[in-house]
Amino acid sequence: MFRRSYSVSHLPGFGFVAILTFLMLYLPILVLVIFSFNAGVSQSIWEGFSLQWYEAAFRNRQVRDVSIRSLWLAATAAGIATMVATLAALGTTRTGRFPGQTMIYALINQPLMVPEVVTGVALLIFVAAIKVQTGYTGMGYLVAAHTAFCIPFAYLPIRARLETMDINLERAAADLYATPLQAFRYITLPLLVPGILAGFMLGFVISLDTVVITEFVKSAGQDTLPTYMLGQLRRTVTPEMNAIATLFLALSLMIVTAFFLITRKRGA
Amino acid sequence: MKDQTARDSVEIEITGLSKVFGQGAAAFSALSDIDLTIRTGEFFTLLGPSGCGKTTLLRVIAGFEQPSTGSLRINGREVAGKGPNARPVNTVFQNYALFPHMSVADNIGFGLKMLGKPRAEVAATTADMLRLVKMEEMAERKPAQISGGQQQRVALARALAPRPRVLLLDEPLSALDLKLRKEMQGELKRLQAETGITFIFVTHDQEEALTMSDRVAVMSAGRILQLGSPHEIYHAPRERFVADFIGDTNFMELPVARLEKGGAFVTLPGGSETRAELPEGLTPVIGEKVTVVIRPEQVQMAPPDAAEMTGTVESATFFGTDTHVHLRLSDGQGFILRRQNSARTEEPAPGAVMGLKLSPGALRVLRD
Ligand SMILES: Nc1ncnc2c1ncn2[C@@H]1O[C@H](COP(=O)(O)OP(=O)(O)O)[C@@H](O)[C@H]1O
Ligand SMILES: [Mg+2]
Repeated sequence: MFRRSYSVSHLPGFGFVAILTFLMLYLPILVLVIFSFNAGVSQSIWEGFSLQWYEAAFRNRQVRDVSIRSLWLAATAAGIATMVATLAALGTTRTGRFPGQTMIYALINQPLMVPEVVTGVALLIFVAAIKVQTGYTGMGYLVAAHTAFCIPFAYLPIRARLETMDINLERAAADLYATPLQAFRYITLPLLVPGILAGFMLGFVISLDTVVITEFVKSAGQDTLPTYMLGQLRRTVTPEMNAIATLFLALSLMIVTAFFLITRKRGA
Repeated sequence: MKDQTARDSVEIEITGLSKVFGQGAAAFSALSDIDLTIRTGEFFTLLGPSGCGKTTLLRVIAGFEQPSTGSLRINGREVAGKGPNARPVNTVFQNYALFPHMSVADNIGFGLKMLGKPRAEVAATTADMLRLVKMEEMAERKPAQISGGQQQRVALARALAPRPRVLLLDEPLSALDLKLRKEMQGELKRLQAETGITFIFVTHDQEEALTMSDRVAVMSAGRILQLGSPHEIYHAPRERFVADFIGDTNFMELPVARLEKGGAFVTLPGGSETRAELPEGLTPVIGEKVTVVIRPEQVQMAPPDAAEMTGTVESATFFGTDTHVHLRLSDGQGFILRRQNSARTEEPAPGAVMGLKLSPGALRVLRD
């Protein structure tokens, strides 16, 4: 092909920049993972291989509690967000054009536009006011905040899927005597499943990862894994933190891999 | 055999129908003043260039669009305002729109399932339909696992399975290659004859329209210009657009010499007078020019002294079964003649003067 004759890989310094970029991206993580297996307490001197920090992490009751809370919160928030996002995606792709449609797209994506710390502060003030009024201090605030934050991430893949789906399929269903509900049940929904799964997984990972919003909204005893780790790091840092981070990383990688597999395989 | 009485009864009656898209300054009239009666059991074709409103008319009949004005009756019942699932009409989509997650059999059975038919009936009809379109072997395949021609058959079977009163087909053959298209044309005619269902077929291919239809409506810019049998449309076009769109045509501007009942004598280039058919209700003024049409195959070559007019050959193109000869008439107008190659003859040489004889009754005056 004609295009082949031009390739940026022949430019001077290309290899150097590429390698530097990947080192910046992955070297710190690699060091973190390596030292999670260190036999000693040091983060810089290798003293032999050991799984003791993993054992310590598993024995640590607090770690178990915050992990379960994180997973529960992510599943709940991503679940609700996915349902809302599905409705939003249907509402923005399966209706006639209406005035202000572009505005609606932008509004749905609020968390992508408003700085997280601003949302955090706003939520802090808002939640505090409700707490005073109602006295309720449960997980509801975190669930609501995480759900709102996850919606755009769940919305994007679902909407993308709906946009690439042939609208004639739903017309054909209606033509073949399906009511709107039946057309949704038998045609739209089954074809949308990969998008919905992708949306859920993205939302799940985002919720697991978010620190700022949780930090501002949580009440006492509502630490999630990231806020707990942050809290611990203010004290002494032992390789137990590395072990927890490594496990966390493995979980995220698994979810992201599953996300890619689902969108790649069933996207066609 | 089709029932003669059923054939004469009205299936679809459209009166004063129009469809306007958009509002205010952006309003666009996709259909204007459509009056149309389609008979039960006929193969009816909407023919016209891309963008003339064929799909829109089909979508209005199917119920995907609501008409802006006018009425639409199917089998005597007014359906304007009703959704597609409440009309006894099924559509074969231009891109087939098969459900990708369902097997061929489930696609075909979908309509019956939605109508709430019992399982056994759905299965039996699906089997019948698979046989009808010769797809029994492929019943369990997914649409992505069969060829384009096979998808076309499945789309047909799916639309026929609920036994609609009317089948709508939007350019169903345009995606197929020539050989398959010819094959499917025959297949469609066979299916229509076997089921007796009214077919409304959309195409921009005039040859397809002529070979397949009982009646053809020629459309342009949202209007129906002429409606008639393929013969009428081809041999008796009323307007220049219709004559031009269907087949190759010679147009000539000729003065009227005299009138007689149903015809006018026009003066050909070179001076001889010949009779041209007049469309109903048109009375040209003697001495003024009218537009007349004649098909290239309705002109024969003749020795110049025995001819009605003469032309100078500009070029000749050999097509196998026939040769197209481009001529310049004595008054400067261009003219095409199509010669049947029934014997192996020399191609006319450019510059040669050729005599032309017109088939009797072939010349027609157009309403411009
Ligand atoms: N939903 C729509 N909104 C606006 N204009 C439309 C719409 N659908 C069709 N049109 C216009 O109506 C005209 C006729 O379209 P169509 O019926 O698809 O033509 P055809 O099928 O004969 O090619 C075109 O000019 C097209 O742009
Ligand atoms: Mg069209």
